[in-house]
Amino acid sequence: MNNSQRSAFNRQWSIGFMTMILSIGCSGKGPKYQQYFAQGQTLYEKHCSNCHQRNGQGLGLVYPPLNGSDYFEQKFEASLCLIKYGIQGEIIVNGKSFNKPMPGVPSLTELEIAEIATYVSNSWGQQHDIVEIHQVTAALNKCHQ
Amino acid sequence: MKSFLINWSVVNRQWSAGRHLFYLFCCTLCFSACTPKVEKLPIFGERELNGKDTVFHTIAPFQFVDQDSAIITNAIFKNKIYVADFFFTSCRTICPIMKTQMLRVYEATKDLPDVLLLSHSIDPEYDTVALLHDFANRLGVQSNRWHFVTGVKDSIFKIAQTSYFATALEDKTEPDGYIHSGAFLLIDRLGRIRGKYDGTKDDDVNRLIEDIKKLRNEQ
Repeated sequence: MNNSQRSAFNRQWSIGFMTMILSIGCSGKGPKYQQYFAQGQTLYEKHCSNCHQRNGQGLGLVYPPLNGSDYFEQKFEASLCLIKYGIQGEIIVNGKSFNKPMPGVPSLTELEIAEIATYVSNSWGQQHDIVEIHQVTAALNKCHQ
Repeated sequence: MKSFLINWSVVNRQWSAGRHLFYLFCCTLCFSACTPKVEKLPIFGERELNGKDTVFHTIAPFQFVDQDSAIITNAIFKNKIYVADFFFTSCRTICPIMKTQMLRVYEATKDLPDVLLLSHSIDPEYDTVALLHDFANRLGVQSNRWHFVTGVKDSIFKIAQTSYFATALEDKTEPDGYIHSGAFLLIDRLGRIRGKYDGTKDDDVNRLIEDIKKLRNEQ
Protein backbone atom coordinates (compact mmCIF):
# COMPACT_ATOMS: atom_id res chain seq x y z
CA MET A 1 0.00 0.00 0.00
CA ASN A 2 1.61 3.24 -1.13
CA ASN A 3 1.09 6.59 0.52
CA SER A 4 -1.81 7.73 -1.66
CA GLN A 5 -3.60 4.39 -1.19
CA ARG A 6 -3.06 4.61 2.56
CA SER A 7 -4.46 8.12 2.75
CA ALA A 8 -7.51 7.10 0.68
CA PHE A 9 -8.04 4.15 3.01
CA ASN A 10 -7.75 6.39 6.08
CA ARG A 11 -10.13 8.90 4.55
CA GLN A 12 -12.73 6.21 3.88
CA TRP A 13 -12.43 4.95 7.42
CA SER A 14 -12.69 8.39 8.93
CA ILE A 15 -15.74 9.20 6.79
CA GLY A 16 -17.36 5.94 7.88
CA PHE A 17 -16.54 6.65 11.50
CA MET A 18 -17.92 10.21 11.31
CA THR A 19 -21.12 8.94 9.70
CA MET A 20 -21.55 6.46 12.49
CA ILE A 21 -21.12 9.09 15.21
CA LEU A 22 -23.45 11.48 13.37
CA SER A 23 -26.12 8.85 12.94
CA ILE A 24 -26.01 7.99 16.63
CA GLY A 25 -26.14 11.68 17.53
CA CYS A 26 -28.96 12.51 15.13
CA SER A 27 -31.21 9.60 16.05
CA GLY A 28 -31.04 10.75 19.67
CA LYS A 29 -30.40 7.24 20.88
CA GLY A 30 -27.02 7.95 22.46
CA PRO A 31 -26.09 7.73 26.13
CA LYS A 32 -27.89 10.99 26.91
CA TYR A 33 -31.10 9.59 25.46
CA GLN A 34 -30.64 6.36 27.42
CA GLN A 35 -30.20 8.35 30.61
CA TYR A 36 -33.25 10.55 29.98
CA PHE A 37 -35.34 7.51 29.13
CA ALA A 38 -34.32 5.57 32.26
CA GLN A 39 -34.79 8.53 34.60
CA GLY A 40 -38.04 9.36 32.84
CA GLN A 41 -39.35 5.86 33.44
CA THR A 42 -38.62 6.09 37.18
CA LEU A 43 -40.34 9.48 37.39
CA TYR A 44 -43.27 8.29 35.24
CA GLU A 45 -43.85 5.34 37.55
CA LYS A 46 -43.67 7.60 40.59
CA HIS A 47 -45.86 10.48 39.43
CA CYS A 48 -47.95 9.39 36.43
CA SER A 49 -48.54 5.65 36.15
CA ASN A 50 -51.08 5.34 38.98
CA CYS A 51 -53.65 7.09 36.80
CA HIS A 52 -52.32 6.83 33.24
CA GLN A 53 -51.25 3.20 33.90
CA ARG A 54 -47.90 1.58 33.31
CA ASN A 55 -48.89 0.79 29.74
CA GLY A 56 -49.96 4.40 29.12
CA GLN A 57 -53.50 3.38 28.20
CA GLY A 58 -55.28 5.41 30.88
CA LEU A 59 -58.58 4.23 32.37
CA GLY A 60 -61.94 4.50 30.64
CA LEU A 61 -62.93 8.14 30.22
CA VAL A 62 -61.50 8.98 33.64
CA TYR A 63 -57.77 9.15 32.84
CA PRO A 64 -56.77 9.82 29.22
CA PRO A 65 -54.23 7.61 27.43
CA LEU A 66 -50.66 8.78 26.76
CA ASN A 67 -50.03 5.82 24.48
CA GLY A 68 -51.08 7.02 21.04
CA SER A 69 -52.50 10.31 22.31
CA ASP A 70 -53.20 12.94 19.65
CA TYR A 71 -53.35 15.56 22.40
CA PHE A 72 -49.77 14.85 23.50
CA GLU A 73 -48.59 15.00 19.88
CA GLN A 74 -50.49 18.07 18.76
CA LYS A 75 -50.38 20.09 21.97
CA PHE A 76 -46.89 19.13 22.93
CA GLU A 77 -45.96 22.37 24.71
CA ALA A 78 -49.25 22.43 26.63
CA SER A 79 -48.57 18.81 27.62
CA LEU A 80 -45.14 19.75 29.02
CA CYS A 81 -46.82 22.53 31.03
CA LEU A 82 -49.54 20.37 32.52
CA ILE A 83 -46.99 17.90 33.86
CA LYS A 84 -45.81 20.69 36.16
CA TYR A 85 -48.93 22.80 36.66
CA GLY A 86 -51.79 20.33 36.21
CA ILE A 87 -54.93 20.97 34.18
CA GLN A 88 -58.63 21.61 34.83
CA GLY A 89 -61.63 21.46 32.55
CA GLU A 90 -62.47 19.45 29.47
CA ILE A 91 -59.86 18.19 27.03
CA ILE A 92 -60.45 16.06 23.94
CA VAL A 93 -58.08 13.14 23.47
CA ASN A 94 -58.48 10.94 20.38
CA GLY A 95 -61.99 12.33 19.92
CA LYS A 96 -63.11 11.53 23.47
CA SER A 97 -63.93 14.01 26.20
CA PHE A 98 -62.03 13.86 29.49
CA ASN A 99 -62.97 16.19 32.31
CA LYS A 100 -61.32 15.32 35.60
CA PRO A 101 -58.89 17.78 37.14
CA MET A 102 -55.28 16.60 37.03
CA PRO A 103 -53.02 17.90 39.79
CA GLY A 104 -49.59 18.96 38.60
CA VAL A 105 -46.27 18.16 40.21
CA PRO A 106 -44.81 21.66 40.81
CA SER A 107 -41.63 20.26 42.35
CA LEU A 108 -40.47 18.79 39.02
CA THR A 109 -37.44 20.50 37.46
CA GLU A 110 -37.13 21.27 33.75
CA LEU A 111 -34.70 18.36 33.40
CA GLU A 112 -37.16 15.98 35.05
CA ILE A 113 -40.00 17.13 32.78
CA ALA A 114 -37.74 16.57 29.76
CA GLU A 115 -36.97 13.09 31.05
CA ILE A 116 -40.64 12.20 31.60
CA ALA A 117 -41.57 13.57 28.15
CA THR A 118 -38.70 11.60 26.57
CA TYR A 119 -39.93 8.43 28.25
CA VAL A 120 -43.57 8.95 27.21
CA SER A 121 -42.64 9.91 23.61
CA ASN A 122 -40.58 6.75 23.21
CA SER A 123 -42.58 4.11 25.03
CA TRP A 124 -45.21 1.55 24.05
CA GLY A 125 -44.08 1.52 20.43
CA GLN A 126 -43.95 5.30 20.07
CA GLN A 127 -40.71 6.69 18.62
CA HIS A 128 -39.69 10.32 18.76
CA ASP A 129 -36.56 12.29 19.48
CA ILE A 130 -35.23 13.07 22.89
CA VAL A 131 -37.02 16.01 24.54
CA GLU A 132 -34.40 18.64 25.38
CA ILE A 133 -34.39 20.95 28.39
CA HIS A 134 -34.58 24.07 26.18
CA GLN A 135 -37.89 22.80 24.75
CA VAL A 136 -39.26 22.52 28.27
CA THR A 137 -37.94 25.99 29.18
CA ALA A 138 -39.63 27.50 26.13
CA ALA A 139 -42.92 25.71 26.86
CA LEU A 140 -42.95 26.69 30.53
CA ASN A 141 -42.20 30.32 29.68
CA LYS A 142 -45.34 30.41 27.56
CA CYS A 143 -47.64 28.90 30.16
CA HIS A 144 -46.06 30.14 33.38
CA GLN A 145 -48.78 31.00 35.84
CA MET B 1 -59.13 -84.98 38.90
CA LYS B 2 -60.45 -84.57 42.43
CA SER B 3 -57.62 -82.28 43.43
CA PHE B 4 -58.23 -80.28 40.30
CA LEU B 5 -61.90 -79.65 41.31
CA ILE B 6 -60.95 -78.60 44.83
CA ASN B 7 -58.43 -76.23 43.41
CA TRP B 8 -61.05 -74.63 41.27
CA SER B 9 -63.40 -74.00 44.19
CA VAL B 10 -60.54 -72.34 46.11
CA VAL B 11 -59.77 -70.18 43.13
CA ASN B 12 -63.46 -69.24 42.83
CA ARG B 13 -63.68 -68.35 46.48
CA GLN B 14 -60.59 -66.22 46.33
CA TRP B 15 -61.79 -64.53 43.19
CA SER B 16 -65.16 -63.74 44.71
CA ALA B 17 -63.50 -62.21 47.79
CA GLY B 18 -61.27 -60.17 45.50
CA ARG B 19 -64.28 -59.11 43.49
CA HIS B 20 -66.00 -57.79 46.61
CA LEU B 21 -62.95 -55.81 47.48
CA PHE B 22 -62.84 -54.49 43.93
CA TYR B 23 -66.50 -53.33 44.11
CA LEU B 24 -65.83 -51.67 47.43
CA PHE B 25 -62.86 -49.88 45.88
CA CYS B 26 -65.02 -48.71 42.94
CA CYS B 27 -67.74 -47.45 45.27
CA THR B 28 -65.21 -45.52 47.35
CA LEU B 29 -63.82 -43.96 44.19
CA CYS B 30 -67.31 -42.93 43.03
CA PHE B 31 -68.18 -41.58 46.44
CA SER B 32 -65.07 -39.50 46.70
CA ALA B 33 -65.51 -38.27 43.14
CA CYS B 34 -69.12 -37.27 43.76
CA THR B 35 -68.37 -35.36 46.94
CA PRO B 36 -65.12 -33.55 46.21
CA LYS B 37 -63.51 -31.99 49.23
CA VAL B 38 -64.08 -28.27 48.72
CA GLU B 39 -61.83 -26.05 50.72
CA LYS B 40 -64.12 -23.51 52.36
CA LEU B 41 -63.08 -19.90 52.65
CA PRO B 42 -62.37 -18.70 56.19
CA ILE B 43 -64.89 -16.58 58.10
CA PHE B 44 -63.27 -13.40 59.43
CA GLY B 45 -63.81 -11.67 62.73
CA GLU B 46 -64.85 -12.63 66.22
CA ARG B 47 -67.42 -15.32 66.87
CA GLU B 48 -69.68 -15.94 69.83
CA LEU B 49 -71.60 -18.95 71.04
CA ASN B 50 -75.31 -18.42 71.41
CA GLY B 51 -76.56 -21.65 72.95
CA LYS B 52 -75.37 -24.22 70.42
CA ASP B 53 -75.15 -21.79 67.48
CA THR B 54 -72.03 -19.90 66.55
CA VAL B 55 -72.71 -16.23 65.81
CA PHE B 56 -70.25 -14.77 63.32
CA HIS B 57 -69.17 -11.19 62.74
CA THR B 58 -71.35 -9.55 60.09
CA ILE B 59 -71.45 -6.16 58.38
CA ALA B 60 -73.46 -3.73 60.56
CA PRO B 61 -76.64 -2.10 59.16
CA PHE B 62 -75.83 0.82 56.86
CA GLN B 63 -77.57 3.37 54.67
CA PHE B 64 -75.79 5.27 51.91
CA VAL B 65 -76.72 6.90 48.59
CA ASP B 66 -75.34 5.65 45.28
CA GLN B 67 -74.52 7.31 41.94
CA ASP B 68 -78.18 7.14 40.87
CA SER B 69 -79.41 8.72 44.15
CA ALA B 70 -80.75 5.30 45.17
CA ILE B 71 -80.74 4.45 48.88
CA ILE B 72 -78.32 1.58 49.41
CA THR B 73 -78.72 -0.56 52.51
CA ASN B 74 -77.82 -4.12 53.51
CA ALA B 75 -81.11 -5.20 51.88
CA ILE B 76 -79.59 -4.66 48.39
CA PHE B 77 -76.96 -7.27 49.23
CA LYS B 78 -79.26 -9.82 50.83
CA ASN B 79 -78.48 -13.25 49.36
CA LYS B 80 -75.78 -11.68 47.18
CA ILE B 81 -72.04 -11.96 47.26
CA TYR B 82 -70.29 -8.60 47.10
CA VAL B 83 -66.88 -7.00 47.02
CA ALA B 84 -66.40 -3.78 49.02
CA ASP B 85 -63.67 -1.15 49.00
CA PHE B 86 -62.94 2.42 50.13
CA PHE B 87 -61.64 5.16 47.81
CA PHE B 88 -62.24 8.74 46.65
CA THR B 89 -62.39 10.06 43.11
CA SER B 90 -59.77 12.81 43.48
CA CYS B 91 -57.19 10.43 44.93
CA ARG B 92 -54.06 10.00 42.87
CA THR B 93 -52.16 7.49 44.96
CA ILE B 94 -53.57 3.96 45.19
CA CYS B 95 -57.21 4.56 44.21
CA PRO B 96 -56.65 4.66 40.43
CA ILE B 97 -54.87 1.31 40.67
CA MET B 98 -57.68 -0.05 42.84
CA LYS B 99 -60.26 1.10 40.31
CA THR B 100 -58.32 -0.56 37.48
CA GLN B 101 -58.29 -3.78 39.50
CA MET B 102 -61.96 -3.49 40.54
CA LEU B 103 -62.81 -3.05 36.86
CA ARG B 104 -61.14 -6.44 36.31
CA VAL B 105 -63.40 -7.95 38.99
CA TYR B 106 -66.39 -6.26 37.32
CA GLU B 107 -65.48 -7.76 33.94
CA ALA B 108 -64.80 -11.20 35.43
CA THR B 109 -68.20 -11.30 37.17
CA LYS B 110 -70.18 -9.70 34.36
CA ASP B 111 -72.42 -12.72 33.84
CA LEU B 112 -72.99 -13.45 37.53
CA PRO B 113 -76.14 -11.60 38.66
CA ASP B 114 -75.58 -12.65 42.29
CA VAL B 115 -72.24 -10.82 42.53
CA LEU B 116 -72.20 -7.05 43.22
CA LEU B 117 -69.55 -4.40 43.88
CA LEU B 118 -69.70 -1.63 46.49
CA SER B 119 -67.21 1.26 46.49
CA HIS B 120 -67.50 3.71 49.39
CA SER B 121 -66.18 7.24 49.01
CA ILE B 122 -64.23 8.35 52.07
CA ASP B 123 -64.43 11.95 50.83
CA PRO B 124 -68.23 12.15 50.64
CA GLU B 125 -68.37 15.95 50.78
CA TYR B 126 -66.41 16.27 47.54
CA ASP B 127 -67.72 13.04 46.00
CA THR B 128 -71.33 14.06 45.54
CA VAL B 129 -73.94 11.88 43.85
CA ALA B 130 -73.44 13.84 40.61
CA LEU B 131 -69.68 13.38 40.75
CA LEU B 132 -69.95 9.66 41.45
CA HIS B 133 -72.50 9.37 38.63
CA ASP B 134 -70.04 10.99 36.24
CA PHE B 135 -67.19 8.80 37.55
CA ALA B 136 -69.14 5.55 37.08
CA ASN B 137 -70.21 6.64 33.59
CA ARG B 138 -66.64 7.42 32.68
CA LEU B 139 -65.59 3.96 33.84
CA GLY B 140 -68.39 2.59 31.67
CA VAL B 141 -70.01 0.45 34.37
CA GLN B 142 -73.64 -0.38 35.17
CA SER B 143 -75.02 1.13 38.35
CA ASN B 144 -77.08 -1.92 39.32
CA ARG B 145 -73.94 -4.04 39.53
CA TRP B 146 -71.40 -1.57 40.87
CA HIS B 147 -72.66 0.91 43.48
CA PHE B 148 -70.50 3.95 44.25
CA VAL B 149 -71.81 5.32 47.52
CA THR B 150 -71.52 8.53 49.46
CA GLY B 151 -73.05 9.46 52.82
CA VAL B 152 -72.23 10.82 56.24
CA LYS B 153 -68.44 10.83 56.54
CA ASP B 154 -68.38 9.48 60.10
CA SER B 155 -70.70 6.60 59.18
CA ILE B 156 -68.43 5.63 56.31
CA PHE B 157 -65.29 5.80 58.45
CA LYS B 158 -67.02 3.84 61.20
CA ILE B 159 -68.28 1.05 58.98
CA ALA B 160 -64.83 0.81 57.35
CA GLN B 161 -63.10 0.36 60.70
CA THR B 162 -65.58 -1.68 62.68
CA SER B 163 -67.41 -3.76 60.06
CA TYR B 164 -64.91 -4.24 57.23
CA PHE B 165 -61.71 -3.95 59.32
CA ALA B 166 -60.36 -1.57 56.68
CA THR B 167 -58.34 1.53 57.50
CA ALA B 168 -59.91 4.86 56.53
CA LEU B 169 -58.77 8.01 58.28
CA GLU B 170 -58.46 11.69 57.57
CA ASP B 171 -54.84 12.85 57.75
CA LYS B 172 -53.94 16.34 56.63
CA THR B 173 -50.26 15.45 56.43
CA GLU B 174 -50.90 12.97 53.61
CA PRO B 175 -50.64 14.34 50.04
CA ASP B 176 -54.34 13.71 49.37
CA GLY B 177 -55.52 14.23 52.95
CA TYR B 178 -56.51 10.64 53.75
CA ILE B 179 -54.95 7.39 54.86
CA HIS B 180 -56.87 4.37 53.66
CA SER B 181 -56.17 0.76 52.88
CA GLY B 182 -56.31 -0.60 49.36
CA ALA B 183 -58.15 -3.67 50.58
CA PHE B 184 -60.96 -5.44 48.71
CA LEU B 185 -63.29 -7.30 51.07
CA LEU B 186 -65.28 -10.34 49.95
CA ILE B 187 -68.66 -10.57 51.70
CA ASP B 188 -70.89 -13.65 51.56
CA ARG B 189 -74.68 -14.02 51.33
CA LEU B 190 -74.99 -13.76 55.11
CA GLY B 191 -72.99 -10.55 55.39
CA ARG B 192 -69.84 -12.24 56.69
CA ILE B 193 -66.31 -11.32 55.56
CA ARG B 194 -64.81 -14.29 53.72
CA GLY B 195 -61.67 -12.78 52.20
CA LYS B 196 -59.37 -9.77 52.28
CA TYR B 197 -57.22 -8.89 49.25
CA ASP B 198 -54.76 -6.18 48.26
CA GLY B 199 -56.66 -4.25 45.60
CA THR B 200 -53.46 -2.85 44.13
CA LYS B 201 -51.94 -6.24 43.26
CA ASP B 202 -52.79 -8.30 40.18
CA ASP B 203 -52.09 -11.64 41.90
CA ASP B 204 -54.24 -10.90 44.90
CA VAL B 205 -57.13 -9.80 42.70
CA ASN B 206 -56.76 -13.02 40.66
CA ARG B 207 -57.17 -14.90 43.95
CA LEU B 208 -60.28 -12.84 44.75
CA ILE B 209 -61.83 -13.73 41.38
CA GLU B 210 -61.17 -17.44 42.09
CA ASP B 211 -62.58 -17.11 45.63
CA ILE B 212 -65.79 -15.54 44.30
CA LYS B 213 -66.32 -18.73 42.26
CA LYS B 214 -65.66 -20.89 45.33
CA LEU B 215 -68.08 -18.85 47.41
CA ARG B 216 -70.82 -19.16 44.79
CA ASN B 217 -70.52 -22.95 44.99
CA GLU B 218 -71.03 -22.94 48.75
CA GLN B 219 -74.49 -23.98 49.87
